[in-house]
Amino acid sequence: MFLLPKGNPLFENLAVSKLKLPDVLTKLSNGAFTGYASFVFQANTALLVFEAGKLVSVLVEGQNGKRESGFAALSALAELMVTTGSGALNVYKLSKDLTMCIHALLEGETLYKAQELKLIDIKTLLEKVKEDQMNGCLRIYTDEHSAMIFYKDGNPLGFFHDGSSDIETSSSESQKIAGLPGAKIDLFSTQSADELMGTNLLEVTNIQKIWDTSVAQHKSEIDRTNLERQERDKKAVSQKLAELEEHVKSIVGEYVGKVGRGIVDKEISDNGGNACLIDADGAEKFMKGIERAAKLLVSGTNIKLMMEKLSSTISIAKSEF
Amino acid sequence: MESFIELLTQMNPFNLVQVLFWGLAGAISFYFSIGNARVWTSISIGFFLIFLAQAYQLNPLAESYPILEAYHYIIGTVAIMTISHGFLEYYVFCRTFEISGNKIVVYLSTLAVLIASAVFLYINPTPSPNTIRNISMIENSIWVFLSVMNLELIRKIYSVIKDSDISKGFIAFGIVFVCIFIWKGSYLYLQIFQWDKDWQNIIALMTDEVSNIDEYMGRVQFSQEVSRYAGLLSGVSVGATFTYMYKLLK
Repeated sequence: MFLLPKGNPLFENLAVSKLKLPDVLTKLSNGAFTGYASFVFQANTALLVFEAGKLVSVLVEGQNGKRESGFAALSALAELMVTTGSGALNVYKLSKDLTMCIHALLEGETLYKAQELKLIDIKTLLEKVKEDQMNGCLRIYTDEHSAMIFYKDGNPLGFFHDGSSDIETSSSESQKIAGLPGAKIDLFSTQSADELMGTNLLEVTNIQKIWDTSVAQHKSEIDRTNLERQERDKKAVSQKLAELEEHVKSIVGEYVGKVGRGIVDKEISDNGGNACLIDADGAEKFMKGIERAAKLLVSGTNIKLMMEKLSSTISIAKSEF
Repeated sequence: MESFIELLTQMNPFNLVQVLFWGLAGAISFYFSIGNARVWTSISIGFFLIFLAQAYQLNPLAESYPILEAYHYIIGTVAIMTISHGFLEYYVFCRTFEISGNKIVVYLSTLAVLIASAVFLYINPTPSPNTIRNISMIENSIWVFLSVMNLELIRKIYSVIKDSDISKGFIAFGIVFVCIFIWKGSYLYLQIFQWDKDWQNIIALMTDEVSNIDEYMGRVQFSQEVSRYAGLLSGVSVGATFTYMYKLLK
């Protein structure tokens, strides 16, 4: 994402997780704000450009360089705000003209893109900018450095380069970058600031609905994830219980004989399923039932040994759940 | 004291030994039922009732009290029914693993049946020797039938629990019911062909009928001996079985 002049900072580093997009946009719109708001997330950045309270452009850029604008960008931003736990909001007030240039940079018409400087006549190009009374932004950059020149009616408004935080009046840095080997230029033009006033994304989109949809989708996603986790947990518990049940059957079978498995099945069924084995009351009732049935089949000594073994197995199993 | 000694001398020593064994069996079975499940209560009460029924025979004046004589046969009938109820419950347990009910219900139900039987005898005419013999025949028939049924139940129970501690105890119960079947069956055989002592007394005093007992004296005497010894063995085997079961379940 471009580094942009900070102008007059209104808010910096506001935690996005506590904000609601409709509230932010309404506040900026009602305050007739001119400038831009940047939402900085871990992997994405969103820029919203306002002109006298009107939202004139929106851009969301991902880490992979993929850009979205307009309605899609608003939806993407809402989704990022809802789903990302972190992120910061910065709001910078700019002049009307500079805001127009920022808009040109973000969504203006691209006249040149990645054009190698040495292959063009920069002097002629600048003359043409002046002659055509162009509004826009000329970006000069190499792989390491970048500088921008903002134009209004063909006249430079100011210069901005990486490393600075605001518009400068000196063109020395821009000239220095232009002289570097491999320097390239982008040229973006836009309508005048007055014409831009005719555009307001807030009027053509239902921000509240976009936000509500994102919240609902996020909630649905969380619910689905929770459900999946619950089912996974349930399955794991069910698997463990089945193993415990089998272990208990083998213990009872060892002392009572093959009929022991049937006795365990019956007691488990009477106590509401194998979950009773890890429930304090259920396990007690289960043990009593097994003991009562075993009294009809095995000696007191063996019953004692069996009950001790069962009790220990169930206690260990309980601690694992 | 002298009259008591005189009374003892009138007792059949064989019956005395048999009743002593039944007494021992009844005591062991009753002790066994304490602290054990309800199925054992039914079985134990049943064997204890056999002792009561057999003990009455020691009374040299037994035949002088027709109502009591009839009643002791009824007690014998209730005994085998209670035992069979116990084995049936055990069989149900082996198939369903269901242990339901309360011991008190078994005690009270048995008591209620005995009281109802006593009332039945009390409100009806005094039983004649023929009536008493009929009741005895009914008792023996029920014993024979239920002994066979219990043998089948025991076989089925054993097949389910054969790898448990108690399984050999059921083989012992099987032996008990074989002895009981022979004991009661041999006497029923005598009664069916009217070679029993009761019938001989009846025809000697009350009817003009002639018995063919003399023609079959050999098989009559054999059946009488079989009945006597099988009865004795039944008492011994019950006592031994409960002692063995007690050892198995200790």
